[in-house]
Formats: sequence, C-alpha cells, structure tokens
Amino acid sequence: MSFHIDCPHCGRRPVEEFFYGEVASENESIAGADARNLDRVFMLDNPEGIATERWFHAYGCRRWLTLRRDTRK
Amino acid sequence: MRVPERFRLIHIVASPAALDKAEYLRIAPDEALAFAAPESIDDPYAIVEPDDGYAGLWLDAQEAEKFLARACEWELPPHRPAFAQGAVAGLPAKLWIERDRMLILVPAPYAADLEERLA
Amino acid sequence: MNEFVERKIALTWRAPKRAYDVVIVGGGGHGLATAYYLATRHGITNVAVLERNYIGSGNSGRNTTIIRANYGIPEAVRFYQRSVDLYASLESETGRGIMHRQKGLLWLAHSEAGVRAERARAEVNVAFGTKTEFVDPDQVKRICPQIDITGGGLWPVAGGTYHPEGSTARHDRVVWAFAEGAMRQGVDIQQGIRVHSLRVEGDRVTGVETDQGPISAGVVLSAAGGHVTTLVSTAGVRLPIRTHPLQAFVTNHYALEFPIIVASATLLFYASQTARGEMLMGAEIDRQPSYSYRSSHDFLQHCAFRAMTLLPFLRNLRILRQWTGVCDMSPDYSPIMGKTGIDGLLITTGWGTWGFKAIPAAGEQLAQLIATGATPELIAPFSLDRFARDRTMADRGSAGTH
Ligand SMILES: Cc1cc2nc3c(=O)[nH]c(=O)nc-3n(C[C@H](O)[C@H](O)[C@H](O)COP(=O)(O)OP(=O)(O)OC[C@H]3O[C@@H](n4cnc5c(N)ncnc54)[C@H](O)[C@@H]3O)c2cc1C
Ligand SMILES: [Zn+2]
Repeated sequence: MSFHIDCPHCGRRPVEEFFYGEVASENESIAGADARNLDRVFMLDNPEGIATERWFHAYGCRRWLTLRRDTRK
Repeated sequence: MRVPERFRLIHIVASPAALDKAEYLRIAPDEALAFAAPESIDDPYAIVEPDDGYAGLWLDAQEAEKFLARACEWELPPHRPAFAQGAVAGLPAKLWIERDRMLILVPAPYAADLEERLA
Repeated sequence: MNEFVERKIALTWRAPKRAYDVVIVGGGGHGLATAYYLATRHGITNVAVLERNYIGSGNSGRNTTIIRANYGIPEAVRFYQRSVDLYASLESETGRGIMHRQKGLLWLAHSEAGVRAERARAEVNVAFGTKTEFVDPDQVKRICPQIDITGGGLWPVAGGTYHPEGSTARHDRVVWAFAEGAMRQGVDIQQGIRVHSLRVEGDRVTGVETDQGPISAGVVLSAAGGHVTTLVSTAGVRLPIRTHPLQAFVTNHYALEFPIIVASATLLFYASQTARGEMLMGAEIDRQPSYSYRSSHDFLQHCAFRAMTLLPFLRNLRILRQWTGVCDMSPDYSPIMGKTGIDGLLITTGWGTWGFKAIPAAGEQLAQLIATGATPELIAPFSLDRFARDRTMADRGSAGTH
C-alpha cells in the first residue's frame, strides 16, 4: 500500500522514501515482572485504527519523525 | 547527458538558529551543506568540515524541467533559489534550484545510477 | 465435465440461532475447515461460522494457493506434510473439484549461505517426512529451462531444493468445498454478520456480541485472519501478531506451459501459472502494519523487476490485475493455534503469508482439540504459550512469502 508522509523538514513525500520504525511500549498495568517482559518483547497493540509510529526519512533529512496514522485507510 | 562528478561541499552541523542566518542547502534543521565554508557561524559548537561524499551535476532549466517531469513525483518549492531533497529517479537526491539552472546531488556511490537515469 | 464449470449447489441458509455449542468467527478457509472436520470427524454439528462479509472474502480468496511442506524445522515439516496429504485427497473426500495440481516446486538459493540453508532444508525435510532434494544449477536449468541461471548477472542461481509435492489448488473452490461439506452436516454458515466482541464471564468465554445480537457458545474459535488482534483484545487476550498487507498480481496469458512453481527465498519472489495460463506472482509483505486492502505501484515495480531477472520471458507479458490481503504475521513466522488462557476461547492465527496450505491440517487438528479438550501432539508446539515458555518456532526462511 502506498501513501504520503508530511516530513516537517522536507515536505510531503511518498512513503517509499521512509523506513518504518517500531515504538516500544511498556504495559505498566501488568503486575508481574515476567509477564510484563513477555508483553514488552512479544505482544503488540496492532491497532486497527490510529497508530503512533516512528518513520525515518532515509531519502531526505535522515531524521526520525513521529506519525499518527489510520491503519484502516 | 554529461557525467556526474564529485563535488567538494562543506558540511555544517550547528544550531538551527545559527543556520537560519545564511542561505545553505538545509538538509535538516541542524545540518546543512554549503558551497564554501562560512566566514563565521553563530554557534561555538558548530562542526564545519569538507564533505566529498556527493556526486552531481548542473542542469540548465530546460533539462532540469524535462528530467524532473519524469523522475520526480513530489512538488518542488516555488521560490528561487530553493533547496529540496527526496527521491528523484529512485535515488536519494538533493536539489539546489536557481532561476536558470539546477544542481542535482546524490551520495557518490550512486553516481553511476544517476548517470544512467539521466540518459 | 469441464473442470472450469462449477456444479450448482443447493444449500439451506438459516437465520442464526441464539446459542451454539461452537461459534467460529471468520469464514475463511481455517474457520470453515474446522467446522467441516468438527461435523465430519466428531459429529459436532451445533456449530456456527460467522463471517462479516462473504466466505472466502479474506485472505483465503486472495492468496496465490501454493501448497508445500518444505519447511525448515521438524515440527513444521510434520504439520505441513499432514496438510499436503489431506489436500491430495480433498477432492475425493468432498466430491468437489478444487483443481488440485501437483507441479513440483523449485526453491532457489543465490549465495553460499543460501546453498547451505537449502542443503539443510533437504536433510530436515527427508528426516521428518517430506520429499525434498538438493539440486545444483544444472539440474535447476533442466527442471525449469525458462530460468536464467545467471539471474540477469545480478542474482546467479547457486543451487536450490526441489520439492516434488509442491502444488496449487483453486482457492475459492477449497473454501466452498469445506463450507458445503460442513453445511450438509448441519453446520450454520452465516454471511454478513460481524462479531463486535467476545463475551467473557470470569475466566470463561460464553459467546459473542454481533451486529445481529448476542450469540452464546460453549467454545469460541477466533479464525478472523488479519483482524484477530482486534477481536481477541475484547477478551483481554494479547497476541504477538502484527497485521501487514501482502500483494500479488497476475499477467495475461502466457502461451507456453510453465509447469512448475519457482520461488527464491533471497529475492522474496515466487511465480506459478494459473489454470487459465496467467503467470501469478507475489513477493514480500508491505513493511508497515496496515489493514488497508490498497495495492501499490511500488510493489509492482520491485516485484516485476526481480521476477524478470530470473524469468526473462515475463518481460513480454502484461500485468492484468493486482490485489492485496491483510496478513496476521507472527514474530517467529510460525502459526499460533489452540488455547488462549481463557476457557473455551481458542485461536487459529499467525497464518501470515503462508496459511492457505495449512487449512486442512489446522482445521482437522483444531476440530480434534475442540472435540476432546486436549491439544493434539501435531499442533502442541504452535500454542500461544510458547512465547512465555521461550520456545519460539523460528522458521522465517521457510515461511518465505507464500
Ligand atoms: C496475496 C496473498 C498470497 C498468499 N499466498 C499464499 C500461498 O501461496 N500459500 C499459502 O499457503 N498461503 C498464502 N497466503 C496466506 C493465506 O491466504 C492465509 O494465511 C489464509 O488464507 C488464512 O486463512 P484464514 O481463514 O485464517 O483467514 P481469512 O481467509 O482472511 O479469513 C478470515 C475471515 O474472517 C472474517 N472476519 C474478520 N473479522 C471478523 C469479525 N469481527 N466478525 C466476523 N468475521 C470476521 C473476514 O472477513 C475473513 O473472511 C497468501 C496471502 C495473501 C494475502
Ligand atoms: Zn525529511
């Protein structure tokens, strides 16, 4: 799938110019340390809706930006 | 078409405020390329060093327009001179666009690809 | 009779009941096969399959239909070989033509490391019950003369494996064979009904909430494909699944016969010929997670380039159609089947880009799990708790892209 990302420095560019990056999240509501680690390493929110992501503008400014994106579109 | 050649540029890392004070090829808020070393820069921690890492060539306005029409899918800034960067012919390109000519730069290892795609 | 002409079937479609012994969410191949085996093997027919769209509208009707068992770890070889065997007898069992074709599959390597991996694959495959042999570039050329063994000067073929049981089948016929078979035994298949959430009381699942009201059930199986995370999160279950789009395309008719399936694990590209003569191709998933069914030009460009380097005749063909499915990708590239920690709630997921071939075996095994309450040995290694037990089933190089 293809879409555009607005880079705050370079402007609007096709997604192919960017690398996708993960956002690590820690689920503080999980009580046990082992369970929390398991969740952090493997379990994913995988939102069907708005996701907060990091993207690296490899073809432009070579900086990471934070993007909120609707994964259904 | 001509062959891209190595460009000697000056690479500057400095605070955004310091970089705002002159006209550079502004590759990131705190990073710029220049054709010549600035006489002074308003940041005591600025890094200024020569950069041989790019290859490129000047195209006249007509050549540039023709090339970009088929090789660039994003919009160029309207003012002149202007700096822009992004994928051009599938390469990570940096453009310095003047009224009657345009410099296109790519990381030097892509020089051959640029030559091929200009043709 | 012409195999392209489908037999007319008369089936009774009922309104959903308010309660079932088993509710299966998702009318893809996995949900339907489980229903089919529940009914035919275990006599469990008070079963509903709830599909929000039409059956086969998910990945089961979008895939490139490659069936093979040449996986890289013992547990996977055994499991997929079971599926290969079930596929081979599916036509005679169901009485439905699924256009199953054994074609043989060439799996190419382009480096020394790749050659080592293929030699290892052949060993593991033979040791655990499937047929795979290592082949050198000359043998590759003999098996498939259309391959440019120099890889266009970019990716020379250094060797590979040949897997004679590699086959294809018509995907929507598979979906319908299982659906029809299940319905004839009394299973309710409901199309156009969306499950919003799972109903849980204490540690037990009690049913589902749908856009047509609640339905209670003793057992709920999630077979929702790429949408699994959203569904099971309503019961508080967290999964190591990320949903990525996978694209494929077909060309116009190729005038010659291309009788084999060709795949390159390095180039992440594979091709086969459809029964209509089109060349069918696919490659890797889109990098970013997404539930969007939109296709991209970028994918076509990159996949077509790699394809033409290896199979130069493709240059003269035209791309006719391109489409996308959304895949439930697991971190170790192996499926996740079975219990979830919530009583009565089962999942079948992590089918990613490789789950069409698994439909019969997974359906058979999950039906057995539902009927007996005990996880069958064949799928025990693929349960969700393997991540907590530090027993991941890493097999990325075999899951490949199909
Ligand atoms: C382009 C492409 C090529 C592929 N090629 C191959 C291949 O060559 N070989 C191979 O083995 N595998 C291949 N695969 C993978 C294979 O298609 C899938 O793994 C397999 O079809 C998964 O089947 P499923 O029943 O789990 O999911 P699906 O077929 O996706 O079915 C899930 C169903 O659940 C429904 N659903 C979802 N949420 C809800 C809800 N809340 N309520 C009700 N219904 C719901 C959906 O509408 C859908 O019909 C490919 C996939 C794609 C996309
Ligand atoms: Zn940028």
